[in-house]
Amino acid sequence: MRVVIIGASFAGVAAAFEVRHIHPDAEILLLEKQDNLGYIPSGLHLYWDKKISDLDEARFVTEGQLDKHGIVYHLNATVQKVNTTQKIITYDQHDLSDQLSYDKLIIAAGSRQLSEKITGSAQESVLKYKRYDEAQAALIKVEESEHITIIGGGQVGVEAADLLTAMEKQVTLVESMDYVLFKYLDEDMIKPIEKNMIEKGVDLRMRQTVSSIEMEPDQKVTVCLGEGSVTSYAVIMGVNVRPHLPFLDETIKQHTDQTIAVDRYLRTSVEDVFAVGDCIQLSGPGEDRVYVPLINNAVRTGIVAAANLIEPSRTFKGSLRTIGTRVFGKYIASTGMTEAESLFTDRTVESHRQKVRLTSLADSDTVTLKYVYDAKTHELLGAQMISNANILEKINVLALAIQSKQTLEDLQQTDYFFNPAYSQMIATTNLIAWMDERADEDEN
Amino acid sequence: MKIEHFLEKNEVREITIFNQLVLNGGTLSYGKMLNHLGVSKASLENDLSSIAVRIDGFDQKVQLQYDGQTIGLSMSDDLSLQQIYRLYLDQSIKLQIITFLFKHQEFSITQLTQKLAISESSLFRKIKELNSHLKEFGIKIRNGQMQGEELQIRYFYFQFYCYIEDKTTFLAEHPNDRLTQMIDAMEKFLNVTITPENRERLTIWLIISNARVTIIDKQAKRLRTQMKAYRKDPFFHKIQVFVLRYFSRYSIEVDEVESMIHFAFLLAFPVLTEPDFHEYRLLRDRHTPIASMDTLIAETIINHFKYRRLPYMLERDMSYHLTHIHTRLYFFQGDIEIYEYEGIIAKEKQIVGTNVVSFARTLLKTSTKTLADKTGENNSLLKMELLKYISLLVLITFKMASVIQVGIDLKMDGLYKETLGELLILKLKPIKGVKVEHYDPTKIYDLVLTNEEPKAQANYDDARIYILSEILSSFDMVNIQRIIQELNK
Repeated sequence: MRVVIIGASFAGVAAAFEVRHIHPDAEILLLEKQDNLGYIPSGLHLYWDKKISDLDEARFVTEGQLDKHGIVYHLNATVQKVNTTQKIITYDQHDLSDQLSYDKLIIAAGSRQLSEKITGSAQESVLKYKRYDEAQAALIKVEESEHITIIGGGQVGVEAADLLTAMEKQVTLVESMDYVLFKYLDEDMIKPIEKNMIEKGVDLRMRQTVSSIEMEPDQKVTVCLGEGSVTSYAVIMGVNVRPHLPFLDETIKQHTDQTIAVDRYLRTSVEDVFAVGDCIQLSGPGEDRVYVPLINNAVRTGIVAAANLIEPSRTFKGSLRTIGTRVFGKYIASTGMTEAESLFTDRTVESHRQKVRLTSLADSDTVTLKYVYDAKTHELLGAQMISNANILEKINVLALAIQSKQTLEDLQQTDYFFNPAYSQMIATTNLIAWMDERADEDEN
Repeated sequence: MKIEHFLEKNEVREITIFNQLVLNGGTLSYGKMLNHLGVSKASLENDLSSIAVRIDGFDQKVQLQYDGQTIGLSMSDDLSLQQIYRLYLDQSIKLQIITFLFKHQEFSITQLTQKLAISESSLFRKIKELNSHLKEFGIKIRNGQMQGEELQIRYFYFQFYCYIEDKTTFLAEHPNDRLTQMIDAMEKFLNVTITPENRERLTIWLIISNARVTIIDKQAKRLRTQMKAYRKDPFFHKIQVFVLRYFSRYSIEVDEVESMIHFAFLLAFPVLTEPDFHEYRLLRDRHTPIASMDTLIAETIINHFKYRRLPYMLERDMSYHLTHIHTRLYFFQGDIEIYEYEGIIAKEKQIVGTNVVSFARTLLKTSTKTLADKTGENNSLLKMELLKYISLLVLITFKMASVIQVGIDLKMDGLYKETLGELLILKLKPIKGVKVEHYDPTKIYDLVLTNEEPKAQANYDDARIYILSEILSSFDMVNIQRIIQELNK
């Protein structure tokens, strides 16, 4: 059996390893558009954060690991056409066109960070750095720029703003919504972050949509907004990513948003063709299908598709859109439904926000915790955390609780260790409402 | 644009034949029909045979009898003229071109000639004809695409699917689980109630919008300019937040134009209920073009009828309708004439008098001068909005007329009081817009009829008092009618 996987990023590589694990004899072929393997899309952030000293260190997989598992990969291979009737893939490699047949096909072509609405966003001085070569170019450009404009206040944009501010760059951040990180946190949770951003000198432009980006003669770039404009030395695109699948043939059904339609087994409308990662919609926190392009989802869908190659055996459990990061001195984490997003569910939801101490010691840090639950059944649906201390792992506990449909009452009974130096009389993730500490005070 | 613009000349004549028969009680002589159509007898005979073939599918439910002298139409009770129109429209090539264009967004000439089984030249001719009617919408079919401002394109499709194409089939063809979710979420987020009728309208709009949301390079220059006055509008902001949040759930990039388009639609068409609109009205900036035009026109109406003021709820209702009219005039171009304009104007003139119609024309002149540079009697949008002004004026006149409360307070012996009172009520009742009853001191009246000079006006609050000279006399009746007319103004 020959399994061809289009795309060797997280989803494709995870799928390849899982196929090898399940089918030791399968011939596995990865086709990768880029000329290098396994670059972590946020590598530049690791570099700016001094977590790595060279962009090359930002790799999640090495050629050696693939070789060891007998996974063949073609770099610089751009797929031009998929013919699902004849099961043939046409691709270009080093300016030559080649064809390849498959028995099973997994489309893991990922996404790209491009705007089709913002005129001028495709030009070189507008930085995107999901890919290794883009990151290298962005690194040089940012180093020589004093003032940088970031378009989009999502995770990429806010992290970049934080790191660039720390590098003493002047940063303007443009966001079309009322507040940053709106997909993950509710407005009442984000306030401390926005406060810190302003204190650190970030020029926040909320409720502003970018209409065009124009080059100025002196190497500067002007970002035109609904009202006014910003001129700086460089622009970083932090907008949402979207799949780019020009090679699909018409038999593979797509949704209006250009994602590939898949069933619970990640099968497309065509037999023996699967789609994973940023190419598909997933069952989201509200249990309806949404687009959640996160690496954790890419990896998990890759594994599930691989498991279903021969026959449908494993359904994809969906995404809770779990994230965790540190920005502007705060650790933030989120999983499941936010209160704002509960708009799209039929359920009646309630939420509770509280501040709890992390340990029993006098100098304990606190965490502000918000959880969203079904008003009737008390099933936990979502949670958000923000703290000066590293609480990131705790969100995984709550993600598991949501996935296993635990109620608040179940959680109150979950057995966690007690140690006064590391915990309080009740653990944070027990979600006990009366453990509210200094609720009216600011966390700082 | 008219419905008949989707039909061929002979089809329009056939439809007219049906129309004339319905208007004339089902029978009409050849002579009258020939006169109306302005064709030869042979041509009429042709049309009639063509009709006979077409209605064959109705399985005897529609029958046309003609003998060279008279033409007769009979239809079963469950069939209306609308279904006959539908029959013609379903076979319309022009209609199929628009439908195809909506579904595929783009077409090649070969693709379309094959699909419709017509020649290239005939396709070009039909597109040319369509374009001549699409002109008033500011859009055109060119290079296999619908071109023009995005708001106008969606608006045209909306009118098309509401009034030309079969709405029910259109709704059935588009599974609406996601739309239901979207509308429910919208209701929650905007904190409004969307009634079933409005929901259907909104569903059609959202099917069209969602089908076009991913189109790149939408034109919106005109809309962006128009929206400058609304950047800080609270309702626009809410729509913008909703649109961004909704589409952030999909791999769809939206810019502010998407929110602007929905803003214009939601205010121009009855989607919000009056109470929900009222909430917005309290918050909106009164100096924006539409709001200030609402005020100007409302004041002009009140002054024209010499009303001191309108009852609170009527004033709200008027403002609600005026905003729809003015939003359409401000943002939109073109319309589909779903009502026979000339016919309605003629009928309205008969019922409400020429004054109302000419006053409505004055209003339209005032509003279009400021809101939109749209001139020309043939502009369907202006025609339709004129009809709306007329309807609004008629509504106000009726509502204002109906509030005249008359109390009869006769000061005489019980039996006479009762009997004469009843006779007076009987006599006054036929006067339009008057409610007459025996005086009840706990109620408020506009007019009190009595036979003795009251000791103090205070007894009757602010009511006008008329002292009857001779109960049931024609002298009194004339005076009472005059007073009622005065009160009505």
